[in-house]
Amino acid sequence: MTTYHGSREKRTFIDHLAHWITWPRFIFAVTMTFFLTSILFPFYWMLASSFKTYAEIGGRHPVYVPHALRLDAYAELFNPNNPSYWDFGHNIINSLKVSVPTALIAVILSTLGAYAIARLHFRGKNLLLNSVLAIYLFPGILLIIPLFAMLSQIGGKLGFAVQDNLGVLVFTYLAQTLPVALYMLTNYFRTIPTEIEQAGLIDGCTRLEVIWRITIPLAIPALVSVSIYTFMIAWNEFLYALVFLNSRTMFTIPIQINTIFNDPSPRPNVVMAASTIATVPVVVLFLALERFLEEGLSAGGVKG
Amino acid sequence: MTVPTSVSQPPPKRNWHSLQASEARLAWGLISPTAIIVFGLVLFPAFFSIWISFHQVTLRNLNDVFHAPFVGFDNYRSVFTDFAFKYHNIQNMGAAVTSVVYSFLATILTVLVGLIAALLLNKPFRGRGLSRATFLFPYVAPIVSVAFIWRWLLDPRPSGVLNDLLMRLNVIHMPKAYLATRGLALFLVIIFEGWRYFPFAMLMILARLQAIDNTLYEAADVDGASTWAKFVHITMPELRYIVGAIFLLRLIWTFNKFDDIFLLTGGGFGTNVLPVLTYQFSFKMFNFGKGAATAMILLLALVIFLVAYILIVMRNVEEA
Repeated sequence: MTTYHGSREKRTFIDHLAHWITWPRFIFAVTMTFFLTSILFPFYWMLASSFKTYAEIGGRHPVYVPHALRLDAYAELFNPNNPSYWDFGHNIINSLKVSVPTALIAVILSTLGAYAIARLHFRGKNLLLNSVLAIYLFPGILLIIPLFAMLSQIGGKLGFAVQDNLGVLVFTYLAQTLPVALYMLTNYFRTIPTEIEQAGLIDGCTRLEVIWRITIPLAIPALVSVSIYTFMIAWNEFLYALVFLNSRTMFTIPIQINTIFNDPSPRPNVVMAASTIATVPVVVLFLALERFLEEGLSAGGVKG
Repeated sequence: MTVPTSVSQPPPKRNWHSLQASEARLAWGLISPTAIIVFGLVLFPAFFSIWISFHQVTLRNLNDVFHAPFVGFDNYRSVFTDFAFKYHNIQNMGAAVTSVVYSFLATILTVLVGLIAALLLNKPFRGRGLSRATFLFPYVAPIVSVAFIWRWLLDPRPSGVLNDLLMRLNVIHMPKAYLATRGLALFLVIIFEGWRYFPFAMLMILARLQAIDNTLYEAADVDGASTWAKFVHITMPELRYIVGAIFLLRLIWTFNKFDDIFLLTGGGFGTNVLPVLTYQFSFKMFNFGKGAATAMILLLALVIFLVAYILIVMRNVEEA
């Protein structure tokens, strides 16, 4: 009786499925599955590998599900008593020392610049905006040789080192992020009605007061997304950090990961643990602020 | 006669002028920090790069770069005759040709995958927001992380995931070193680009798709058009400009891209491209002049392509 009932229910389910499925739905489901698998599996693999032991990493077959959440790889990164300690906490701090100032300075400077472009009339405005954007298309590798030579000249005169100087790195990141920040904020300011600002001007505020008291509070969402963006660009940046940083104590996260990867004894679980630490903050920030950020992403925010 | 006219003329012209002038002064004041940083750290180095490419700059005279000896086109000649730059045969294309092949194929793949993803996410369904956020992961994650995940998935040992899967499916019998095989390495690097950068194309295409006037589709439905016919006759024409723009932007960025290939293959096994070659000349051989010359060749190729593209696009616009 029960088996009969069960098979009947099964049949209705298949019937239901057969009724529901049409060619477009089938193609949709297959393509969607393909996309989601090929995106999520690599990230799953990163996370899973970071919790594996050397035995699991070095076996004949890959271990698809780690037996337990072993923190061996993380201990190598963070525990000073571990024989192959990487002092990764130091690298995280270096990355923050570069990314946070880049984000803050970029947001302040681009707010001022974008206000000028969106609201004030002056000659050469369009030329300026267009050339700033055109410059964005220059290859980073083209600029790095002259920058290196130029900054070592200036550094020699003013008495600062170009190599292993996180401040120099912040400047080069600003040059990379300011064009997009300027572009994004200009577009946003143009959507704010001018009447409120004019009322402020009539009431006797100066332009700078208007920016501070009226425009900035109205533009908070845009300012948040611009600062998250520039933060992400600085956090992820590889080439300039590779060239400008030499000493291990100054490495940012990406360069340290590259160093761990190129270690003579392969340690994929440690590389994956470090990659997880690099990836989680940006992905979390991104998911939290997705709505704000997408606009900027499509404006070419992450020059990639 | 002259007196009334001078009275009737608007007298505050001078005032208006100076107000405008003070506004312009303020504007320049506001924008100058940005402009100085961007031009100082981009435009000046770009010109300086031209200068360096005509001089012999090595590690020894880097600190005294302005007195570097002038060598004319020697650096360029040395690049053009370099084994790593020149085209040899289809197996060994050299950095110049590889760059072009890689950028075009990767860009086409990126745009195609982005288009498919955008069409998938265009119609509402349960979990659309989540899928859309997930689709952006490859683009948002740090390049170092994703490149090393891929290298780990493509590990040449039998414990590599792709090796394991293909061996279980009996496609291959011996583990393969995917990123260390000529041809296959270039193919995989192109696939990687498509995987990593399709979200950019997807977002822009999706924004355009959402903006298409729905009455067009309704009219087509009334006429009894098929899904395919609607796609070809309504969707594609609406997307033409945005797809053209994405193609151009992505092509430029892929052509300039250093990180991806450097991290995936180090420029070996038939995947060496001009940016990686520039890095090798400059920071492995410390021949900065030759590196700058390579970068100038890269930029020149880019400019020639841009001009050609703009001319073609402009002509099409005029014809339309």
